[in-house]
Parts: sequence; C-alpha cells; structure tokens
Amino acid sequence: MTSIAYPATGLTSPRKRRFTREDRLPVAIGLYVSLFLAIALPLGLMFLWSIADGWPPPHVLPQSYTTARWAGVLGDDGLLRAALNSILIAIVVTFATAVIALPTAWAMARFPFRLKRAVEIFILAPIIIPGIVVAVGIGQVFLALGLAYSVAGVILVQIVGTLPLMIRLMTAALETIPDDLIHAARSLGANTLGIVRHIVLPLAVPGLLAGGLMSFVGSFEEFDKSFIVGAPVVETLPIKLYMYLDPYSMQLPLASIVSFLLLLPALIVFVIAGRVLRDDLMAAGMGKI
Amino acid sequence: MSMLEITDITKDYGASRALHPVSLCVEQGEFVTILGPSGCGKSSLLRIVMGISEQSGGEIRLAGKRIDMLPPERRDIAMVFQSYALFPHMTVEQNLRFGLRMKNVPKAEQQTRIAHALDICTLSGLTSRMPRQLSGGQQQRVALARAIVMQPNLLLFDEPLSNLDAKLRDTLRHELVALHRRIGATSVYVTHDQAEAMAMSDRIVVMNAGRVIEIGTPLELYRSPKQAFTAGFLGQTNLLAVTASGRRAQLPWGQTVDLATEAIGPARISVRPESIGIHPDDPRTRDTGLSAPATVTGVSFMGASALYTVSIGDTLLKVSHAGGDALIEPGRTVALTFPSRLPVLEDRGEDRGREDGGHAAEAA
Amino acid sequence: MPASLRDRRLLLPLLLAPGVGYLLLFFGGPLAAAFIGSLRLEDGSFTLTWYIRIFTRPSMLRGLGTSIYYGVAPVIVSLLVSVPLSLAIRRHFPGRKLFSGLYKLPLAVPGIIVGLMIIVVFERGGFIDRAVAPLGFGLPKLVRDDWGVGVILASVWKQIPFMTLIITSAFAAIPEDIRSASRTLGASRLTTFLRVEVPLAMPGITAAVLLTFIGSMGSYAIPDIVGPPTARPLSVLMVAEFNQGRFPQVFAMGMVLSAFAVAVLVAYYSLTSRIGDAHGRGDAR
Repeated sequence: MTSIAYPATGLTSPRKRRFTREDRLPVAIGLYVSLFLAIALPLGLMFLWSIADGWPPPHVLPQSYTTARWAGVLGDDGLLRAALNSILIAIVVTFATAVIALPTAWAMARFPFRLKRAVEIFILAPIIIPGIVVAVGIGQVFLALGLAYSVAGVILVQIVGTLPLMIRLMTAALETIPDDLIHAARSLGANTLGIVRHIVLPLAVPGLLAGGLMSFVGSFEEFDKSFIVGAPVVETLPIKLYMYLDPYSMQLPLASIVSFLLLLPALIVFVIAGRVLRDDLMAAGMGKI
Repeated sequence: MSMLEITDITKDYGASRALHPVSLCVEQGEFVTILGPSGCGKSSLLRIVMGISEQSGGEIRLAGKRIDMLPPERRDIAMVFQSYALFPHMTVEQNLRFGLRMKNVPKAEQQTRIAHALDICTLSGLTSRMPRQLSGGQQQRVALARAIVMQPNLLLFDEPLSNLDAKLRDTLRHELVALHRRIGATSVYVTHDQAEAMAMSDRIVVMNAGRVIEIGTPLELYRSPKQAFTAGFLGQTNLLAVTASGRRAQLPWGQTVDLATEAIGPARISVRPESIGIHPDDPRTRDTGLSAPATVTGVSFMGASALYTVSIGDTLLKVSHAGGDALIEPGRTVALTFPSRLPVLEDRGEDRGREDGGHAAEAA
Repeated sequence: MPASLRDRRLLLPLLLAPGVGYLLLFFGGPLAAAFIGSLRLEDGSFTLTWYIRIFTRPSMLRGLGTSIYYGVAPVIVSLLVSVPLSLAIRRHFPGRKLFSGLYKLPLAVPGIIVGLMIIVVFERGGFIDRAVAPLGFGLPKLVRDDWGVGVILASVWKQIPFMTLIITSAFAAIPEDIRSASRTLGASRLTTFLRVEVPLAMPGITAAVLLTFIGSMGSYAIPDIVGPPTARPLSVLMVAEFNQGRFPQVFAMGMVLSAFAVAVLVAYYSLTSRIGDAHGRGDAR
C-alpha cells in the first residue's frame, strides 16, 4: 500500500463542531422547569392542603390557613398508633433481615457451588413476582395459622420483601474482601469468630448500611403485603394513608399530612444514600410501584 | 512538505497547562515514536492529532491541509487504541468493515482491502469470531487490521502493546515493524517503553512534562544525546559534571576525557555504562594524577553482561562489562578508561536531577 | 486439608439456610400452596375452572386486559421521555450534578403517595382544573376515567427516574475508547450512537423496560386509588376476591400475573445472552 498523497474525500473548510455554552442553558432551564412542575408542584400542593383551613373551589390557593391539623396529629390516637407501628415494625424488620441475610450473603459471596445461579434467581424471585401475589399467597397461609391481623405477621411478611435486596447488597460488599486477607488473619492466629468480628463485619459495614437503610425505608413504606395481612387490625402509616384516600370519604388534608410523615425518613435516607450508594443499587432498591 | 505538521499545539485544563507549545513534523512513510514517562503529554498530543480531544492552541496540517478544526471522522487518520476498542457486538469481519462502510468504499474494494489486511495481520480464519472469543494478541491484530484497512494518510498508535505480556509484546513488536516496512504508512507511535521506541522507530520524539525535549534517530539520541533527560531516559547512563577547556575536560576525580564538541567551564556529559572500560589489576590503577582510586562496590550479573557499581571519589559510576570469564568482586581496585568524543549536554533543566542527584533544576 | 473440606460441605447449607430457608418457608411455600390451591375445587378434586374463568368471564378478561394495558402503556410513555432525558443528562449543562440527584427523588416515593399527588393535581376540582377554570374550560376527567389516564400518569411519574437511571448507566458503561474508535473510523456522532452505543446499551435498556413492565402490571395501590372502578386490573380484582374468601380464584389470578412476569424475564435472558458481556473481553484487561 502506498500512502495516498492527498485524500480523496472531504477535507473541507474547518467548521465549528460542538455545542457552545450558550446552547446548554435552554436545556438546563427546560429540565429544571420540568423537574419543578413534576415534583415540587404536587408536593407543594399537598403541603397547602395540609395547612389549609378548608379549600373549596374555585379558589386556586387556599384562602385561610390553619396549623390545627398538624397539631391535631399529636392527639389522633389512631394516627399515632399507626406511626408507632410503622417505626417499630421497620426497626424489627431491618434488624431481622440483616441477621438472616448475613450468613447467606457470606455463602453467596465466598463459595462457588453448582446451584448458585438457581439460588440467585430464587432470591430475586420475591421482587419479580408481583407484590400483591406474594401478599395473598402468604395472607391465606397466615389466616390459617392465625398469624394474620398481628404485628408479628406483618413483620414476617415484610421480611420476605426486604431479604432479597439485603442479600444482594451484602453479597456485593462481601465479595470485595480478598481471600488473602482472611488467610493472613488465620496465619496470624485468628479463629473463625475473630475473623468474623475483626474482618468480615467491619468490611461488610457499607453493605450493611446500604441494606439497612433500604430495608428500613422499604418496610416503612410497604403497603401491599402489610395491607393484606394486617388490615384492618394492624395499621401502618401507608395503610392509614390508603384509608384517607377512600373515594367515598376522602380526607385530603389528613392524607397529605400522613404522606409527609411517610416521606420524611425516606427522603432523609435517600439523601444520605445518594452519596453512598451506586446508582444501580439504588434503582434496584427503590424501584417499587 | 511533511505529511504531518504539528505547530505550537498547546493544551490547558483550566489554569494548568498539560502541553506547552509542541511542534514536530513527520515525513511521509516515516515511523516516528513519541516517547516519554507517564503524564508527559504524549497521549494527550495523540488524541489531539486524532481529533478526540480539542487543543487549546496551535495548528495541525495533514498533507498540507489544516485538520485541527475537523471532527475525527473527517481527518483520514486511523488509530490503534491501547484498549483495542473493538466493537464487542460485531464479528472480526464486521469490525473491519465498519470504517469502510462509513466511507462508502465500494463493496468489491471492501473485500479486497479486508482480505489484504487479514493476510498481513495473520488473521485469516478468524473472520466470524466475536472479540471476546479472541486472545489479547489476536485482538490487537484485529485493532491493527481495522486501522490499516482504511489506508489512511496517517496511522496513530496509542501504546498498543502495553496490555500484553512480555513475550507477546516482543512478537507483536516485530510484526509491527515488518508491517510498517511492507505497507509504508506514515505512523506516529506513542509509548513509555524506551526499548520499544529504539527498536521500532525511524525517529524518536522525547517528551517530558508537556514539552518536547529532543528529537532524533535512535542512534543519535542514544550515542549523542543533547539533553540530560534524553540521556537518562533512553537506556542507562552516567551523568557527570566536568570542567571543560576546549575539547578536553576534567572529571571530578582528575581523569581527563575527550569531548565531542568544544566547551568552556562547567559542563555535563553523558557516559554509557557499556562504553567505560573497566580493568582490574591493571598497572594503571597505580597511576597517580587521580584524586582517588576506583573501587568496585557492587556487581549484578545480567547474563550477557555484568553491571558494576564503581566508586571513585564522591561519584558512583555504573559500568557494564560484557563477556569475560570471571566477575570482579566488590572491593577490588580497577582502572577506568573512557571513550573519546563524549557528548556534551545542553542543560535546559528538564532532567530534574534524575541520574546524578544533586543537580538543581532551572525554573521552567 | 480434609478437615476444612468436610467443613465446607456442611458449612455451605448451614450458611445458606437462614436466608434461603426463610424464603422457602414464607415465600416459596405459600406460592406453591397457592399454585396447588388454584387447581383445586372445594372437595379437593383437580380443576382448571378458576383459570378458565379468568379467560372467559367478561369482568375477569377485562381485568387481564387492563393489567396488560397498565403494564404496557406507561412503559411506552416512560421510554419516550427517559431516552431523551438520559441523553440530555450525558452532556454538561449548568446545574447538571444537582439535577442528576434531584431527578431520582420519585424513586423514594411510595405508590400511594403518587396516587394522592395525581388526585391533588389532576382530579376534577384539583389544582389544574381550578387554575384553568377562569379561562372558561375544565379539565377532562383524568382520574378514574375510562382510559386510566391517572394510573398511567402515576406510573410514568415513578418509572421515568428509574428508567433514566438504568439507561444512563447502560450508556455510561460503554468504554470511551469504543466511541472514539468509531469516530476515527469515519462514523459521525449520530451514526456512532445508532450503530455502536445503542446496541451495546440494549441489555440495560431491555432490563429497564421489562422490570418496569412487570412492576406496573402487578401494581395494586395506584390502580385502586386513581383507576376507574369499571376497569379494574387483576391485582385489584384479586384483593376483592380475597376479601370475600374465594381463595382458589385469587390464586389462579395470582398465578396468571406471575406467569406473565416470569415469561417476560425468560424472554429477557434469552435475548440478552446473545450479545454476551457487552463490555467484556473487548478491552482485554
């Protein structure tokens, strides 16, 4: 091959070839406006409903405001009980999920074995099968066992939903521990308990934290399974909210308040987690419908 | 007119300057290597020439026409990447065909070029494999074939061999040299491996810290470097401070040597370890006139040669001695003979005192 | 070391037992029981009538159709928004970093709250309706309307961040060198996008699509709150039957929904195994 002295095609006159700063600004503005309309607007309206003293049509904004409803929350026994239930259940579920998940995650992370793929898929299954199907399946069994309409029942059924993600997150965290670390520890005299205490647990903390946060929020916001198993005796905040949205007796102000209560821990965790977690993990955890 | 003319190319990232004005020319059919340590700017320069990075200033001309304002797909340059960058979702043949389709090369000619490239790169029989089914060496050959199939005006190589193990690197290096001889494409090759650069290139451009330090043929740069950095980077050397008077200079310990060019006063020279004669048990060791005896302090047996560390006065020298039946043990006194016409270094301060420790670098 | 090998064989099941065991007990078991239950009459004999009813009774057939509709329609709308959005996020613009964090907020919002949001904004008598009233016209029925627009809006609201997230990651995982290589071979930015980047991001995009389809097809809270009572999806019908105690019918409906989900997943795995690890040995590291 001899080099062609002059190329045959288009060395045309030089031209500008990328976006300038100025092009980006309308894009940014458009995106932020959409974001505002999609997220801030509904949230803002909900907030207005919660502090409006009656808001009849045709007024676009409430005419008078009151904080009575928010104050009233503290006096509403049913609501307080629901909030307490939610928190209590979430704490227990998170802790239990972590304890159950850890050994399984360790096995998945460190041992190659033949049925691993099958086990992986099985662990993922509770997220793939629609939540309501899982709920009625377990719900019927619990009815028969007498576990329905109890806090224990709700806890047990929620763990089914939190385990898959916790196991996956912790497996990922534990996979990063190099074998050599453990060998080195053994050569320095550590027994199994020592290795778990001083090496595995500390290095598993990121996975534990991520999984713990996800589990807590997941449990706190969980509706389908808790509803089938617990309602109407055991009420969590999401169940309370659902009832306020009954089309025949809709109570928008209370619904709004409960919504904010529900959102609060989720948003806090979200902001913290956003800095710590990778996007794909977040998507897997938060993608609930 | 050179095939490639790079004129005063600069690259800034905010306030910091990655490339100071860089200029060089590559003639048609030449194989030029840009050589330098990590971070010296060689890859940045290559990416600017390719068009996937934008320069902050300067011009580039290919075959006389200005290309620095054109997007990469209009520059008629082909590049072989360090990571091979083969399209994972296409077969070997589809990878090779891709560029030809982009440039609307007629079908018949596509076939000819592809067959030709497969042949020179010894890839026949692999056409329907996917990249993930190929070994590292095969992938690199496909990356190469994909570039030469374009018959570009200029071929760029971005450290293509650094992902391969040593043996494979050797093999592919020879193949690349043979390939270049066969197709004669103007090539610019970037590497940090000085042995690679010396073995393959017509000329070498030595870079450091965003500047071109020196340009020359491998022989020139090795035998007669003008810069301390070049001397230190290509192979091993001893950088010595001498006092010159004309064509003769005096080493720190009194011995006199013969210079290649005239100089007056303090100067620096580069002396290759293999060019210093080492003589144990020589009557000359008792030669007075030297301020201190030369003593061997260490020896490394390298197989084909032995590398000695010789202490003389305050200086530690590296001396390489090929062959011989016995090694000189540490502690022995030796006599050293120096070659004539030693190159005098133009010291611009870029060497940052690499070889001889205490030399203060001038402000850049 | 024989001792530790023996340990391993015993150890493995022991370690797996808590997690896998729990799921078998509280998930696999009930699901299996539900499957069996869906095939039995009260007297315990084998029957397919519960399944047949789903495909013959008008209300249930409509339910199945609605479930599929609620699965497909939002996904299409979400895709139309997510793909351009993820492309827009790739480039630099002022405030990009903040935006990349903010657009994910809907991921943290549970479905019921989204239902409430839809009501507050779009319902007759809600914000938009009142806002345009002075202009002389009212908002068409968007909540609990025949087309389930409210349900689609709510689903889309949650899906867009999720999809954008996954699609952006899929594109970001493509090594920059491959893009550069394509350009150096003569492909313009657009051609590089269409011929190189999209095929390589396909597994990720497909995953996003399928996951969201499964999610919205089986969702309960949103259709129940903002969906029309005349066209209830299987998920909502299931709960009604459950509350009446007609368990076998409930189980059959659940199995049908699950079958869809599983079928979709199987399709995904078979489609993507063809391309293989898109970023794998291509760069031989």
